[in-house]
Amino acid sequence: MTKKNYITAALSLALSVAIMIYTGMNFMAARDIPWPEQGPSVTDIKLLSDWFPGLKDTNGDTWVYVLQGQKPGGKMLVLGGTHANEVSGYMAAFTFIETAVVEEGTVYVIPYTNHSAMTHNDPGEGNLQYFTLQTKSGERTFRYGSRATNPVDQWPDPDVYVHYPSNQQLSGSETRNINRGYPGREDGNLTEKMAYGVASLIRAENIGLTFDLHEASPEYPVINATVAHQNAIDIASEGCMNLLMQGIDMALEQSPVNFHGLTHRELGDYTETMALLMETANASQGRLRGATTLNQVLGGWDDCYVLSQKLGMLYVPWDENGHPIEERCGRHLQGVYEYSQAYNNAHPDTPITYSGVPGYAELFLNADPAKLGGAHLGSFLM
Amino acid sequence: MFKKISALVLAGAMALSLAACGAEDKVTPPGGNNAGTSASGTSSASGSGELTGLTEAFAEAPVLLTTGGQSADYQMVGTLMKNLGMDYTMDNKATSAELGDAKTLIVVVGGSSKGLGAAGIDADGELARVDELIKGAEDAGLSIIVMHTGGSARRGDLSDKFITPIFEKADYAVVVKSGDEDGLMAGVCASNSIPVDMIDAISDVATVLPKAFK
Repeated sequence: MTKKNYITAALSLALSVAIMIYTGMNFMAARDIPWPEQGPSVTDIKLLSDWFPGLKDTNGDTWVYVLQGQKPGGKMLVLGGTHANEVSGYMAAFTFIETAVVEEGTVYVIPYTNHSAMTHNDPGEGNLQYFTLQTKSGERTFRYGSRATNPVDQWPDPDVYVHYPSNQQLSGSETRNINRGYPGREDGNLTEKMAYGVASLIRAENIGLTFDLHEASPEYPVINATVAHQNAIDIASEGCMNLLMQGIDMALEQSPVNFHGLTHRELGDYTETMALLMETANASQGRLRGATTLNQVLGGWDDCYVLSQKLGMLYVPWDENGHPIEERCGRHLQGVYEYSQAYNNAHPDTPITYSGVPGYAELFLNADPAKLGGAHLGSFLM
Repeated sequence: MFKKISALVLAGAMALSLAACGAEDKVTPPGGNNAGTSASGTSSASGSGELTGLTEAFAEAPVLLTTGGQSADYQMVGTLMKNLGMDYTMDNKATSAELGDAKTLIVVVGGSSKGLGAAGIDADGELARVDELIKGAEDAGLSIIVMHTGGSARRGDLSDKFITPIFEKADYAVVVKSGDEDGLMAGVCASNSIPVDMIDAISDVATVLPKAFK
């Protein structure tokens, strides 16, 4: 080998090591997840493994924020981050934790239901890893994760995912989707264990009402919608009516009995809770989108979707105003409020009441248009 | 040497493209961004100038309330009827055998793939069920009220399959305007001389529906 070859090889090696160090740091930093600040009603912060020890010391264990009211009442669970790339789900959970004043009953909030999914993202989708918001305490960084459990924690995927206990068969990649893993199992894979942990919490705490907050691509038919288990359909009807009367476009769907693994099906079947799932529109999840940018993720601004709307290819209205994060979080938080009010009407002996959480009007309708796309949401956070 | 440099550059670009996914950019609201919702609002095409609203009460209780397409819109209409204190039973799988002593049949039209799945029926089976139910109601002399309350979200191939065959059997129809911007339901009502009230929102059912009952 000539001297010239040695120099080339050394340079190549040095460059490779530099890239490895840079990407390795980036990879490891994804495990450093930001958590909500303690709002006025947070009385305890527990781990999901407190209800299911099988999650202890795994990347599936996650923090559960307990907001106990001054008076006894019913119990409610809010699941954010079931899919860690559905931003309004976990940002609504953050907002609830940091602003809610619980008066009656107890509210449990899990900001990252699939904790592992928040420790990576989908680079093949060109997704972001982080975004920042200016909050009351200054600039805070938030994560943008993945739909599925980190393959570092659970790998490889089988060719076919067989759901327990229904034996329903789905694509192998759904093995790492916690919203296909309910009711979970004690000795299952990590995703099934996380689902089992959530079901264990619900059973142990006698949770009466459970929300699962999601987002969907504008091309998905079930959008701007609430899906309810049949045992929750009465309160869902009443709550949905109230949302519509406030001008919030919300469709109500009953959970199919033959589609297994989802919160609105299995938590209703395998626990005593009333399970509801809500969907808002997220442009960064769609196939017809343009480049994935922060404007798209937080603002919902995307020229490709404006064109797609004109071509009649979407299930949600879309124009130059997009669907900013304030609108999406506002829908979720107003939905949680209206459905919990309907629950209270049906269960006057075990009410769940709270105040202080910004709703659709505070977050979106009454906002300065120039501050939509993250700035206005940030103004409510600690 | 050129190949080596090319390979090096390509390898570097590939690695950096992965790392670059962590880049953060700035939020810049686009010009002309308004606070108003992007929803279509309450205006809708009325479809035809020949439309007439309901002029006199014609229906009687008790009511059998069902769905045409298995969307949960009928559940919300049921909630309204409950709040109004109306005498009704609700059955999303009703056939003519379930008509019982009902004197009015209300069908809330709207297709839902999740609802069909929940009911364990396909679209063709659902259409056949509703067709049989309406025939039974006609034979028994029941009044038939048809509603479409789901707005634009309850339009599209699945929902549209149910609209015309059910609406043309109505004695009276109630439609949320935003679901009829193309005038399909207004057209069916106009061509069949069916009185129809076009309302702004499902909550307006509470205003118009009681007026249909003697």
